[in-house]
Amino acid sequence: MAAHKGWRLVRQSCRLLHTELSAAPQPPSPLYPPVVASHTAKSKSAKRRRLEYFYQQVQEAPSIAEKLRLYGRLQRLKYVVYPQTFSLNADRWYQSFTKTVFVPGLPPAGAEPAGPGVPDLSELRSLACDALLQEHFYQRKRERPFLYREQQHVPAPFLTQLVISLTAALGSRNPLLATSCLDLKPQVNFYWERGETVVCRGYRTGRIDPVRFQIDDNPQIQIRVPRQLPEFVPLEYSVPGEVPVINHKPDKLPLFKRQYDNKIFIGSKVADPCSYGHTQFHLIPDKLKRERLLKANLADQIEVTYRANGIASLFAWTAAQAMYQGFWCEADVTRPFVSQAVITDGKYFAFFCYQLNTLALTVQADQNNPRKNICWGTESKPLYEAVEGNNVKGFNDEILLQLVQFLLNRPEQL
Amino acid sequence: MASGKVLYPLYQLGNPQLRIFRPNFFMTLVRPGVPQPDDTVQFRISMQMTRVDVKNYLEKIYNVPVSVVRTRIQYGANNKRNHKNQKVKKPDYKVAYVQLGQGQTFQFPNLFPEKEETPEPGSVEDIQKQFMENERQRQTADPRRGGVTDWFGL
Repeated sequence: MAAHKGWRLVRQSCRLLHTELSAAPQPPSPLYPPVVASHTAKSKSAKRRRLEYFYQQVQEAPSIAEKLRLYGRLQRLKYVVYPQTFSLNADRWYQSFTKTVFVPGLPPAGAEPAGPGVPDLSELRSLACDALLQEHFYQRKRERPFLYREQQHVPAPFLTQLVISLTAALGSRNPLLATSCLDLKPQVNFYWERGETVVCRGYRTGRIDPVRFQIDDNPQIQIRVPRQLPEFVPLEYSVPGEVPVINHKPDKLPLFKRQYDNKIFIGSKVADPCSYGHTQFHLIPDKLKRERLLKANLADQIEVTYRANGIASLFAWTAAQAMYQGFWCEADVTRPFVSQAVITDGKYFAFFCYQLNTLALTVQADQNNPRKNICWGTESKPLYEAVEGNNVKGFNDEILLQLVQFLLNRPEQL
Repeated sequence: MASGKVLYPLYQLGNPQLRIFRPNFFMTLVRPGVPQPDDTVQFRISMQMTRVDVKNYLEKIYNVPVSVVRTRIQYGANNKRNHKNQKVKKPDYKVAYVQLGQGQTFQFPNLFPEKEETPEPGSVEDIQKQFMENERQRQTADPRRGGVTDWFGL
């Protein structure tokens, strides 16, 4: 009896011990709040804590529009980067601002596209010649162009008509173009930070600040599509080439600072279904035309203007597309964003392809980031030799073919 | 072209281009206060010169290929006062930043490099220098003591 009682007691105490063991591992609730750095002190740890709080807020934003609003909420003096600039050697500076490697030529053509082969060029050639002759010969333009308005007089309507007619003609071959959106003179804006500097004037003198940039671009025509174009090279591909490192302040370019709204825009708002970019078409302005540069003894800067325009415009567009998908400098892109551009002054055409591999350009995010953005670009070649009366002399089929291939670019599944 | 108050002849459409053969301008090449890119040269020029004048001056007289010139006017401060408590103005001057063409670069040279003075053996300076060195060595403590002072111990 006593043995049984003892056994029962032992079993009860065993049960009690088991329940205590299951309850014991829980740690007691903390008596004091966690010890963290101050939020408002003028110290590095307080600054770090405020930055962490800001990153957390942006990361946890409920929608993309809210995320963009929080990202560009603080307004400070920033460098305004103009894609179409007269500055000398601007392409090297822009490459260093955007961490881009420039590769001459076009990207390696991937596996043969699944669609039908080279389309019939004669029909497309006739469309191009029609557009050219319409603006140069058939349409009698009564007013002579005013000063610095020559590009708007003839080349701009020619380019618009060419793109619209080619897009319509190729819509049957490329179903992506059929669902695309064509914008005329849209706005493309992007705001980013790269590098650090010491504030030299004002009440914030002596503090270390990131260097801020803003691009406000107006391409002539832009094609936006609902699906992403396929990547040219893998995301972690190591490009043969270096990002130029320039140890001078951007003021020496010359580049000037202004403070205004930090806008990020691809041409349409966030809710638009066509939120990926396909091709942009830029027109070189009157002040950067070939004849003017040759007269001012700046013949080597002709290609530089095309390259600078391509790099800056495409970086702004692809990076804005990436931000529209929710990526930002602390949450880097997980897939490359790809876009194309054609830059022309009415006669000479240059083709550019851009692959955005990284958005992390700030000092903190760039510490262990081996990825670089890549821009491929050709030299400018003439589409035609001359327009004499009723006919076009020396039409270059290669340029037209390249243009058509650009427009036919599409993801494989489609 | 001339510095100072000169009235240029008015240009009317159809006039020949104004040509000056012996300009009264002078340009001073200066060392930049802030580091400039390799192709940029900094000049102090007359207040009456323009960037077109600078470009033509360098190209025609000195055969220097010039791409682009940017100018600015530096205001001379008016804060200092003389013994009569009158404000003394530092003169204003114009600065031109010239970017060279054809890929040329320019670095302002070091005009006063530090020379290592090696006095001839036997001269007065040499003996003086040796004497000062001996004195200095006598003053320093024995390195074998390892920095320990000598006011205690052996």
